[in-house]
Amino acid sequence: MTAQEVRLCGLLLQEHFGEMVEKVGTHLLKSGAQNLRMILHETGISLDLLKKSLCVLVQHGACVFSSGRKGPGSPTEYRTSCDRILRILRYPRYIYTAKTLYGDTGELIIEELLQRGHMTMSSTVKTVADRLTQNMEDGRSMDYNDVSNSFSNLVETHFLQRCPPPPRAGPKESVTPAPHPVPGTPTPPISTALPTAESFPDCYKVPHVTLTGRGKRPLSSEDVDDQRNAKKAKMDSETHGDEGICWQVNFERFHLHFRDQAIISAVANKLDQTSSEIVRTMLRMSEVTTSPSATCTKPLSANEIFRSLPTNYNITRPILDQYLTLLVDDPMEFVGKAGESGGGMYVVNMHRALANLARATLESVVQERFGSRSARIFRLLLRKRHLEQKQVEDFAMIPAKEAKDMLYSLLSQNLVQLQEVPKTPDYAPSRTFYLYTVNQLPTARMLLQNCYKTVANLIERRLYESKESKRLLEKSQRIEAILASLQASGAEPEQLTEVEEMITAPEKQQLDALRLHINKLDSAENQVDETIFLIESYVNSTKTTS
Amino acid sequence: MSGRGGRRTMSFSVEAVGITRGESLPPSIQQPTPVYPVMEQKPLPLSGGEEAEYLLALKQEFRGAMRSLPHYIHPAEQRGDVERYSDKYHSSEQSDSDWSPDWKLFPKELRAKKPSRGVSVAGPLQTDRQTGEKKKKMEKEEVLLTLETLQKKEDQQSSEEEEEEGEEKKKKKKQEEEEAEPEEEYDEEEFEEETDYIMSYFDNGEEFGGDSDENVDEAVY
Repeated sequence: MTAQEVRLCGLLLQEHFGEMVEKVGTHLLKSGAQNLRMILHETGISLDLLKKSLCVLVQHGACVFSSGRKGPGSPTEYRTSCDRILRILRYPRYIYTAKTLYGDTGELIIEELLQRGHMTMSSTVKTVADRLTQNMEDGRSMDYNDVSNSFSNLVETHFLQRCPPPPRAGPKESVTPAPHPVPGTPTPPISTALPTAESFPDCYKVPHVTLTGRGKRPLSSEDVDDQRNAKKAKMDSETHGDEGICWQVNFERFHLHFRDQAIISAVANKLDQTSSEIVRTMLRMSEVTTSPSATCTKPLSANEIFRSLPTNYNITRPILDQYLTLLVDDPMEFVGKAGESGGGMYVVNMHRALANLARATLESVVQERFGSRSARIFRLLLRKRHLEQKQVEDFAMIPAKEAKDMLYSLLSQNLVQLQEVPKTPDYAPSRTFYLYTVNQLPTARMLLQNCYKTVANLIERRLYESKESKRLLEKSQRIEAILASLQASGAEPEQLTEVEEMITAPEKQQLDALRLHINKLDSAENQVDETIFLIESYVNSTKTTS
Repeated sequence: MSGRGGRRTMSFSVEAVGITRGESLPPSIQQPTPVYPVMEQKPLPLSGGEEAEYLLALKQEFRGAMRSLPHYIHPAEQRGDVERYSDKYHSSEQSDSDWSPDWKLFPKELRAKKPSRGVSVAGPLQTDRQTGEKKKKMEKEEVLLTLETLQKKEDQQSSEEEEEEGEEKKKKKKQEEEEAEPEEEYDEEEFEEETDYIMSYFDNGEEFGGDSDENVDEAVY
């Protein structure tokens, strides 16, 4: 956890869970795994608040607990990781993806699960049905079955998964080795690897749930409230057959989806729509057969691809072959040829695609920060690896003085490194080559940290702006509440205008400007998160191969 | 870099890095770079479009929704330096559906325990309980709460109920705002001996009926 990551996590926790949870979370991030007493001692928060905060963190999966290091008898230790908290930045993207894939129902399911951390299927279905019913016209309501179907669809495509069972500490290992993360070992007192959701064999099995009914619309009249309370009593006492089985959102699956989207849109931008359709087909066919961290998809023969292409594109077989050849020859190396059987075996190179996307991001960053000529030098160094000062000037066709300036500014920002190659063992300066080089992976990591810092700064600036105008914001909220209650109770338009005029024109201007700023800062965060996703995927892909 | 502060001799050969003899080196930096340096290139505008706006709306709604959930732990609010008279009678904000998680997935030590009634528990809990008066109020609050409990027992499962109650009690003791009002308002109006005002005296004007003239008595903050 770098300092930037911790700072960003702290801000995210503060915005979504309050300051108490932020204190506890940042403390855990900085100090690693700790047990309850130590956290209590070091943070000085009251035990109650601490317990509550830890509950909130565990509920949302930000904190995991395990039995202590010293053996089964030691107190449970809590540990947080930055990754999970940084996902909060990406929540809107997850919800939007669910909407595009599964419609409004899917969108609300994912939103509810993200808000609550994890929930049982029955409670999710009920809440979502109620919410959908609220937005429908009067008289119509949402059936639970439809929502359950959407839920099952989400589980089948692995977007949702069951929460892993809590780690069992102590002498219970003999009883149920099945949910234990370390298979085959009869008595593992300390599990060094925390159980992931995937290690649980049933993690994608939908339980048999008896759930019939329709969504309820919230009613405003009072006597119906009593009726509802009575009904509620009956409802809550029913059990739906899935107690204890909680579901959570499977972020990795969403990430795979985003990665595929990124590759497809890159192909569409570089080549054309038809080639992107071909790549999309290939990726869809290999969704289930490829593991998430694979370097490339399983080889697909051209015959298979031809059969699975969408029909509305009218791609004939020879055209498909031509497109595939084009894709293979393209320097971006998205698609590779793996053999000749079956009309040609083709693979999509995931890791190489991610590396190229990350490289393109780096290049565009240099271009926007330093200008297109510096970007030319940067691209040159990426391609040619090591170059001397003179060679840089020659290849980039930039006059010496300017090339030197640009190189030095890039060097001072650490985007370019200097490599010494000695001719003699004493490293004498007159007899050493000084070569400029760009290392893609460390530069990408540095850029990732910059992105975290950027988002943290954006959030802080947004909080500052809201704080500055807090009085004005509160006043406008009060006015809105008054207006809403007036309208609900049916007031004349003169009263409404009178209330509206309580906000003066300059104040209104100030409010508009404030809203504009806050919206800009928010959408900037979303945009930086897209870059973060690309670079993180690239960095993670290199971790698994090395 | 060694030799930068010294004479013109530097540890690396000047030609190798491209500094010819006649040129002047750029001035050495005497202080940290400015916090907001002037940018030669302005950044690109944000990508707009429908998707970006929808994402923005989703994000802001999500944030707003999270604030209202029971997961958001509001800091104990301080109402100015002086304890106001109306503090005792302001309703504490009940978070919608006090949240009781599925304790099977949580370690045992995080379960909120029921505090023993009437006995002051030593420890960090007690920062708010300063006077004996408040203790008396707590007991009365407990009486009112037991009445509530008996009422609500039919509606909820008993174990969950106790958990909730325990959590509710904890929350109330922690915060400086006064006890939760039972649903029936007449309780407070009749049983609280220390006020002669009806509860609407303490409202801060959010539900006013539209006539701004009547606000003279109430303090609107």
